[in-house]
Amino acid sequence: MPLTVPVLAAGLSRIAAHMETAADSLNTIDGQLGDGDLGVTMVRGGREVVKALPTLPADVGMALMACAQAFTRASGSSYGTLLATALLSAAKATKGRTEVPWTEVPALLQGALDAMIARGKASLGDKTVLDALNAAIEATTGKDDPAAMLVAAAAAVDATLARMRNEPAHIGRARIFADRSVGLDDPGQVAFREILRGLGA
Amino acid sequence: MKKILNDPFAYVDETLEGLCLAFPQYYERTGGGGRVIKRPGLARKGKVGVVTGGGSGHLPVFTGYVGRGLLDACAIGEVFASPSVEQMVDAMRAADGGAGILRLYGNYGGDVMNFDMAGEMMDMEDVPSTTVRLADDVASAPPAEAAKRRGVAGMIYAFKIAGAAAEAGLDLAGVTRVAQAAADACRTVGVALTPCTVPQAGRPTFTIGEDEMEIGMGIHGEPGVRRGALRPAQAIAGEMLDMLLADRPIASGQRVSVLVNSLGATPPEELFILYRDVAARLTGAGASIVMPLVGRYACSMEMAGVSFTIITLTPELEKYLLAPAECAFWRV
Repeated sequence: MPLTVPVLAAGLSRIAAHMETAADSLNTIDGQLGDGDLGVTMVRGGREVVKALPTLPADVGMALMACAQAFTRASGSSYGTLLATALLSAAKATKGRTEVPWTEVPALLQGALDAMIARGKASLGDKTVLDALNAAIEATTGKDDPAAMLVAAAAAVDATLARMRNEPAHIGRARIFADRSVGLDDPGQVAFREILRGLGA
Repeated sequence: MKKILNDPFAYVDETLEGLCLAFPQYYERTGGGGRVIKRPGLARKGKVGVVTGGGSGHLPVFTGYVGRGLLDACAIGEVFASPSVEQMVDAMRAADGGAGILRLYGNYGGDVMNFDMAGEMMDMEDVPSTTVRLADDVASAPPAEAAKRRGVAGMIYAFKIAGAAAEAGLDLAGVTRVAQAAADACRTVGVALTPCTVPQAGRPTFTIGEDEMEIGMGIHGEPGVRRGALRPAQAIAGEMLDMLLADRPIASGQRVSVLVNSLGATPPEELFILYRDVAARLTGAGASIVMPLVGRYACSMEMAGVSFTIITLTPELEKYLLAPAECAFWRV
């Protein structure tokens, strides 16, 4: 079965449910380097998205846009804006279609990555969510089974977290604590891992 | 903190509630959380919508300039904070008369990010929109990096001129071109004497000595170019005019308008004292002053200080500047 709005809605509601339990640890991780509200951002964003699910249109692109709008309603944080940017990029690429083949997902994620780089002015290697997303793209390219894609993406994101843990952050608020960020996971990367965990729940 | 308020977290909403109660003929609240102010009634069919947005704490900027011949809608953030993407989308929807939307706002990172995204969302709904950003503060970056400059009081001229062009029936490309020309023709510089206090922070945004002033300070207390002893009005006006005229020289015979603006606490008396020197210097350079503005047009709550904005006029810009317009804070 290809990616349709019912499939999308089911996945988003699993992610939102998972965020309710992952929030505390996300807040703690974020609090070591930032203002400690990343878990709150994800929970509130997830709740707004869940509220939007019953009225999603069948057009995958317009459904993704409604989710992006819902996410921005909850949060003005930069992470929230970046995730909404990713959703909006995929929305533009899928507008007018009710089915999207899974083989196209890595390209949609690549478009999202490019849009996030353009909007957030960070680069690959800065120890941000971008590195995790990039690893997921590399791991899923060429695959067509969603379950296998998810397993590969999760493993690649775990490997990225492990590889970058001992590097300093290069951008954003965490950069101010560059030395302190050595040995700590990037909160944005961890949040992305939690998104994948929720999707697989 | 010495401020008249009930709850710092209700500061913006209670302000908007009172504004609409006082002036229902000009302002109507709409949008998620009531954080959009629009002209009352439906958007006029076939007219380009002119929309802005930004943080609170600057009245009459931004939302005060919603009105006939001015803005159609405004998205409103917390004090000195960007409105959300959703509020900007709501403002654009409220201003949509089917002829497209101009997003006209100041060049600040959060506003740019959110308005760009709101524009992409309107694209998805097949509502075309364009962007013109004000970057008129000459103290905020050197001429070689003019695109990085912040938008300050020059936006009053851009709101007025773009609003008149839209009212006159220009299409989206036309309104955008005129608005860009107005934005490009404005130069502003400010001087701050005292800070202001953001209600939710409860502390002044910066500290400055009783006998000091800071030339070039931004309207949120961003650092300026020179801090020094407070000088007589004539010397302050001279230094500010030097900066403006060095950045954009004025040729003899040039028609200009000039805004001598209070940042909040500085009284009209002091603005008029300064205006004497502004007028003498501009006319001395051979310029003709059209419709000078002296008063409180773009503020930083209770900050003491002033800004000068000069706009060089073409016949087209002058026509739209002088066209009728009306809001609670300004009538032309």
